[in-house]
Amino acid sequence: MTNQEVKASSSRFWRVLIYTTLIVFAAFYLLPLFVMLITSFKDLEELRQGNMLSLPQNWTIAAWIKAWGSACIGLTCEGINGYFWNSIKMVVPSVLISTLLGAINGYVLTKWRFKGDRWVFALMLFGCFIPFQIVLIPMSQILGNLGLAGTTTGLVLVHVTYGIGFATLFFRNYYAAFPTELVKAAMIDGASFLGIFWRILLPSSGPIIVVTVIWQFTNIWNDFLFGASFAAGESAPMTVALNNLVSSSTGVKEYNVDMAAAMIAALPTLLVYIVAGRYFVRGLMAGSVKG
Amino acid sequence: MASLEIRNVCKSYGSVDVLKSINIAINHGDFLVLVGPSGCGKSTLLSMIAGLDEITSGELVIDGEVVNDKHPSQRDIAMVFQSYALYPNMSVEKNIAFGLEMRGVPKAERDKKVESVSQMLQIGPLLKRKPAQLSGGQRQRVAMGRALVREPKIFLFDEPLSNLDAKLRVDMRTEIKKLHQRLGATIVYVTHDQIEAMTLATRIAIMKAGILQQLGTPQEVYDTPNNVFVASFMGSPSMNLIPATVVAHQNSVAARLTSPQGNELILPLPQPERYQTWIDKPVILGIRPEAITDMSSAEPNNPWVFPADCQVDVTEPTGADVYVLTTLGGKEIVARMRSNCGAVVGQKTPFAFNMAKAVLFDPQTENRI
Repeated sequence: MTNQEVKASSSRFWRVLIYTTLIVFAAFYLLPLFVMLITSFKDLEELRQGNMLSLPQNWTIAAWIKAWGSACIGLTCEGINGYFWNSIKMVVPSVLISTLLGAINGYVLTKWRFKGDRWVFALMLFGCFIPFQIVLIPMSQILGNLGLAGTTTGLVLVHVTYGIGFATLFFRNYYAAFPTELVKAAMIDGASFLGIFWRILLPSSGPIIVVTVIWQFTNIWNDFLFGASFAAGESAPMTVALNNLVSSSTGVKEYNVDMAAAMIAALPTLLVYIVAGRYFVRGLMAGSVKG
Repeated sequence: MASLEIRNVCKSYGSVDVLKSINIAINHGDFLVLVGPSGCGKSTLLSMIAGLDEITSGELVIDGEVVNDKHPSQRDIAMVFQSYALYPNMSVEKNIAFGLEMRGVPKAERDKKVESVSQMLQIGPLLKRKPAQLSGGQRQRVAMGRALVREPKIFLFDEPLSNLDAKLRVDMRTEIKKLHQRLGATIVYVTHDQIEAMTLATRIAIMKAGILQQLGTPQEVYDTPNNVFVASFMGSPSMNLIPATVVAHQNSVAARLTSPQGNELILPLPQPERYQTWIDKPVILGIRPEAITDMSSAEPNNPWVFPADCQVDVTEPTGADVYVLTTLGGKEIVARMRSNCGAVVGQKTPFAFNMAKAVLFDPQTENRI
């Protein structure tokens, strides 16, 4: 073997090793998802045989239909669809409002700096890292005083409050790299405070909007603690309903229905990642490399 | 009538004084260039005229009206930024029309103005493009278009040419000058390039460390600099500054210089009454390279041209001329001679000093005497 051939074969060896490792790990992480998916398409009879990893012999979507429309959660047996819409009604306004407020905060903190602005930003960052559990009691008191206890509106308020910190962080860092001369030019051109924001900054904020929306959507959709604490019963979000569904079954444990419900609960966040995932990475990298 | 007046304007950040009592007044149609080295406060002054920086004390007057507390958009000014500051999300057309739109000019009128400006700047074919799709020179034109379309009282330019390559810079310089002549607009222009300042300005303000050193026409600033800084900053190669002594000479006054060989060189000075009190005192003699020539290119009828033999140290041919370096008063000095003047390194050659163009500086204060 010549020197070059030795080199080529050794690099080939490493490549095979790397890819094998990657595939093994990917399979390891995908295994639970795989089990969930195939379980949700089996019937109860087949589940009882206990072959967890085998593909369904009779593919059926009965479990999905039942999870959506007629599974029992607590005492009502109407499936999880109502709670799914609860979650949507909670997530969409929370994400939109917190993203918008974060953008305005980022704009003010970078382009309309005032005395003590660093402190304001530092406190907002601090807000990002306050553990949820600490605020449960004061928050419920405030919601009670506002008359929003146990409502979706109340949950939206909680999530917006918590979301502002991260949204501000994202937008502030993005706008810090945004040329201030553009803002000055717009000022001379006669654009107002909000005019500059709407016409100049926001249209150039695509990547960071995507990042913030994905981040907020995933966090708020997956939240369990606030949902369980502040929105009981009819207005509970999907995550709480899923928990109740799984824990409140009487008699036979319907794993296929549980898995189908869990898949439904996870689908929106998956969808958001698939649609906007590449912008997510692009947004995170924005500013790090000169474009 | 004064178009722009800057009265005792100061600027300080905390305890740091960035601008110290600046006084400048220019008329309608003047092209004022603020020039100086980095950190001299020229850009800060421009920002203050634009209203983007607050004025610590003093008054800023535009067309007879104090505008200190007016918002940038209400000062009737337009600015061209160094980075061009084109809105990246808008087409060229929208960029140019944005200022008009914000001022509530109807769409039809906007279109008409954009059309005429784009014709003037020859950017018609670019109107639908985004700034990212333009070259540096094209962006520059669009930035100027955005200012022109508003027809403001004063145009402000913040080092607009510094991001262009050398060739384009010269072209755009000529174009800005043409534009100024055609529109008769009042312009305030910041640059650190003294050639840009000389070629464009009707008035030059030279600044250093927050202090206005001199305000005058390009010729005034060039011929009679207020101090050593202005003398050496304006002109390339810069003015020769030679240590000398004022002496009485033949009922008049002259400057005495010493060559490295110990020879004395006596050069009579015009306006002797001006230097009477300086006899036997050290001074700095300032004389531009083009005022020291070979004998044949000296003005034959000028009584203030004096020849002197000096040793040639170095010759630097530029094609049209040759810069001949010699040493006088312990300083290297540059003379500008014809390329075929025959100066040979290491040999003596006659230098013709045009003393009518000479100026003297006080070596202590560095101010002109």
